[in-house]
Amino acid sequence: MGLSWSNSRRRTTTFYHPHPPPPPPLPPYYYHPGEAVSLLPRHRIKITTPPYNNHQQPPHHHHNLTLILHTLHLQPNVGFTSALPIQLDPAPFVDHQNAKRIRNDVNVHKDTLKVEIDVSNPDHFLVSFVFDALFHGSITIFYFAKEEPDGRFVPAFPEAHLPVKISFQKGLGQRFCQPSGTGMDLGFFELDDLSKSSPEEDVFPLVIVAETNLPDDLTDEHFDSMPNTLRHRQITQAVFEKKNGDNFNVRVIRQILWVAGVRYELREIYGIGSSAAEGFDDSDPGKECVICMTEPKDTAVLPCRHMCMCSECANELRLQSNKCPICRQPIEQLIGIKINSGDQRG
Amino acid sequence: MANSNLPRRIIKETQRLLSEPAPGISASPSEDNMRYFNVMILGPTQSPYEGLGSWRSPSTSSCGVVETGGVFKLELFLPEEYPMAAPKVRFLTKIYHPNIDKLGRICLDILKDKWSPALQIRTVLLSIQALLSAPNPDDPLSENIAKHWKTKEAEAVETAKEWTRLYASGA
Repeated sequence: MGLSWSNSRRRTTTFYHPHPPPPPPLPPYYYHPGEAVSLLPRHRIKITTPPYNNHQQPPHHHHNLTLILHTLHLQPNVGFTSALPIQLDPAPFVDHQNAKRIRNDVNVHKDTLKVEIDVSNPDHFLVSFVFDALFHGSITIFYFAKEEPDGRFVPAFPEAHLPVKISFQKGLGQRFCQPSGTGMDLGFFELDDLSKSSPEEDVFPLVIVAETNLPDDLTDEHFDSMPNTLRHRQITQAVFEKKNGDNFNVRVIRQILWVAGVRYELREIYGIGSSAAEGFDDSDPGKECVICMTEPKDTAVLPCRHMCMCSECANELRLQSNKCPICRQPIEQLIGIKINSGDQRG
Repeated sequence: MANSNLPRRIIKETQRLLSEPAPGISASPSEDNMRYFNVMILGPTQSPYEGLGSWRSPSTSSCGVVETGGVFKLELFLPEEYPMAAPKVRFLTKIYHPNIDKLGRICLDILKDKWSPALQIRTVLLSIQALLSAPNPDDPLSENIAKHWKTKEAEAVETAKEWTRLYASGA
């Protein structure tokens, strides 16, 4: 997978980055293309770290949701800043900053991930899951794989199992089933080793690398501005757990996204599933701001990632308690998140 | 009257309290001040504050509840800053409880420093109802009652039951 990180990174920096100074502490965002279509109320947006990308890409698919993010500035409030010297640190971002979107071309639905016994090869287990892909690509299954500093994965025990790479065609909501005979004899390992990552968190018992080929559909307008080296990779790191009997459960520990040579860790935003992605009628207690109970919630709190307020109440709260209404953790940052389906955007 | 520019949140909360009341809790706004609520909380079962009569029988009408006790009246006021500031709540019915004083003031963290604007009238009243089930004499408001509770709990519970009979009859 010797992708040309350096190429794409250079390209990204010069081409996309609207702010020449160092990266703003604002995490970029990401969403699942497939879920956006099929599961509007359940789609997830994830915060990613490290936060130093600043993509702006046009909507790539007219059925998909587009995600527009702007920051609500926390800084420029004179009385407040003077009271809290820490706030005087110059803000690298301002109110209503440009939308930040990270498109993910390939996505493994982590809640569909399973292992099942290979019927024609008992003792061996096969991985299956549902995924979305906007382009053709491939999926590679690793058992006990180590993440190298450059983002590549290498098997920690190559003598026991070599990675299995399978190509896929583009499409949403596809089911991936590892071919019979390529599975892993999980009984070979101690349960203890299967159920956790290495102490450094660089070796996981199960690693799924989903990546797209180079985009071949260059007629799409948004590729005009996209270097060909852009290849998306989503990595799912998981452990095996045994609940009862012989059935293994897969628990996803982390998902990583590589876009244009930048590594993001994906985090979920709590409460976004019930945000006003599809209409807002002012009577659904799940979609409204918890403070005014009137406006749709469109603002998430960092670092706790509770999406629970409208922007106006969020700004108001900053001046009051400055604690997350849901968990009471101090608010470090507010992130405005607007979700519209692409064909409704004004 | 301030009712004319009542925040929409308060209107919605009021509507929801009336249309979907929490079990054992009723709250209705005063006619001349929509920020002032008359509240009734039924003493939780298995607590010294529960109604002692036949109201638990399924065949009994809700009127029976009111007549047999375990009904506590409270007042609740939403200050101008609400929901950035907590509602002010007070027991009007006399109650023997280590966290409630003789003026009906309540020692409950969410009404003080642990208030969050995500809490609502409903959740506040449910918390108060829960406080009746779980008196906490280690964080007392009434020193004497708390001491009684810690040294002779059975006796204190009896007193609480007696007070419920005497004062929380709902009459």
